[in-house]
Amino acid sequence: MEYLIHILIIAGIYTILSFSLNLIVGYTGLAALGHIAFACVGAYTSSLLALNFGISPWIGLIVGAILASILGAIVAYPSLKLKGDYLALATFGLGVIVYSIAKNWIGLTRGPMGLPGIPSFSIFGYQISNVWSYLILVSVFVVITFIAIRNITSSPFGRILKGIREDEIASQAMGKNVNRHKIIVFVVGAFFAGIAGSLYAHYISFIDPSSFTIMESITVLLMVVFGGMASLKGSLVGASLLVILPELLRFLGMPSSVAAPLRQMIYGLLLVVLMIWRPQGLIGKYKFK
Amino acid sequence: MFQQLFFNGIIAGQIYILVALGFTVIYRTVKFFHFTHGVVYAAGAYLAYTFFILLKINPLLCFILSIILAAFLGIVIDRFVYFPLRKRKTSNLVFLLASFGVFIFLQNLLQLIFGAQILTLRTGPVKEGHYFLGAVFTDIQILIIVSSLVLFFLCWLFIQKTKIGKAIRAVSDDPIGARVVGINSEKIIMIAFAIGSALAGAAGILVSLETNIEPTMGMNAILKGIIASIIGGIGSIPGALLGGLFLGLAENLGIWHIQSGWKDAIAFAILILFLLFRPSGIMGVKTEKEKL
Repeated sequence: MEYLIHILIIAGIYTILSFSLNLIVGYTGLAALGHIAFACVGAYTSSLLALNFGISPWIGLIVGAILASILGAIVAYPSLKLKGDYLALATFGLGVIVYSIAKNWIGLTRGPMGLPGIPSFSIFGYQISNVWSYLILVSVFVVITFIAIRNITSSPFGRILKGIREDEIASQAMGKNVNRHKIIVFVVGAFFAGIAGSLYAHYISFIDPSSFTIMESITVLLMVVFGGMASLKGSLVGASLLVILPELLRFLGMPSSVAAPLRQMIYGLLLVVLMIWRPQGLIGKYKFK
Repeated sequence: MFQQLFFNGIIAGQIYILVALGFTVIYRTVKFFHFTHGVVYAAGAYLAYTFFILLKINPLLCFILSIILAAFLGIVIDRFVYFPLRKRKTSNLVFLLASFGVFIFLQNLLQLIFGAQILTLRTGPVKEGHYFLGAVFTDIQILIIVSSLVLFFLCWLFIQKTKIGKAIRAVSDDPIGARVVGINSEKIIMIAFAIGSALAGAAGILVSLETNIEPTMGMNAILKGIIASIIGGIGSIPGALLGGLFLGLAENLGIWHIQSGWKDAIAFAILILFLLFRPSGIMGVKTEKEKL
């Protein structure tokens, strides 16, 4: 049972990541491939603050999310000049650079040795350390992210985002500041991804760079595309299905040396199949043109 | 120290050149990032391992067989994944994502078959290298440099001097015009995939003579290949040569004063700088200008 709750918590964290990436990719149509870098910044910031200075994880969560947003603003810069597959490649590169920093700046991050013993969240002296209370905490953040991004996308601001997605030049001709909107989208998306990273770190209590590889970015993108572009319900479905279904392989009694590559193979195949037959995903409203 | 790093840069550059060259031949005809190229490279190394270590076939025959099978793999990927997408006329981004999918699928298939452990093509003990101008280099490194330059030259001759090469250039410059004068563009694309994938397979085998074989080797190779192509000027064959050398040298000289773990970060920093400030690359290719 505990294991089941654990899977749900992981699904919840991936859902937050998918929501925030959907804002960038689905609603605004910017092909960003380095999303896990923001989670990496959030996770490392709040863990290091808690471990080195004994700062409460709550403050670390906010500081981490703010630092992730600053990185988001930096990543947004290429998106002002590049489009489509070139933007995908540039953001991919920024993802690799952040991973490389986490792995090689040993003085700060301890590199591949990772950071053990990250403390958990606590409310009024009550430690949120068992899985049930953590599930509630993650669910609260999933709901907060859902409401925030739904409000953004259904506001006049969100309509401009869809305008940028459909026709950037036309939006500019209507007097909309396209560059400013793109930067804001990246900042907001990175903020929530930073929160997801921090939630992950304080839950698992150990992080190392291998949790933030470029494969993870592709997995989150797959969740968004699979569930549905520009659909938050889709992201919820996509993230949950793609976290829960591969766990069934474990119940079939496969050793992890078989189950791990098999799971990745399913992800890869799914991405190809989606691109060929259903680029808008299960319940998506938009597809890559 | 400087001489050794310089020499290491040249060696690394040769491999990037071969990967970038195959990538460029394919890119010229289809105009999207064929990311799966990296896994074809890894497959080349694993095929050579299967033939040479497991089946103990004659080395030269192994080399040829592996390259032919790598070319065949390239054609299969094109037929089953890219062809349906081409018929639907989707954007380059969709091609790139589908390519990622195939990459992940095949890389993990390799891991499932051969395991995640490191394999090697080396059979005998490691021989001591030669000393020259303050740098150490081995026989295999000389083999890499020579074969890479020979393959590059052959490929360049093929594209510039033969009729099929001319057709590849025609499809690259103007696909509709090429069809008007009776060039079967699907056939040309298939030939480009065969040549490009054969080059990738050759690069994979050469690398595995020098270092190790592991399932994830393709990712690094294709990333560096794409970066080299973009630095050199995407779609340009001399550009692949220049970009590969430039990248190899920049990475290896860049770690003169810092740890070697930063190589990837240096490579991507160069890529992003080029994308933002000189997207046409060293050779100044303007074909994709409308996108940048």
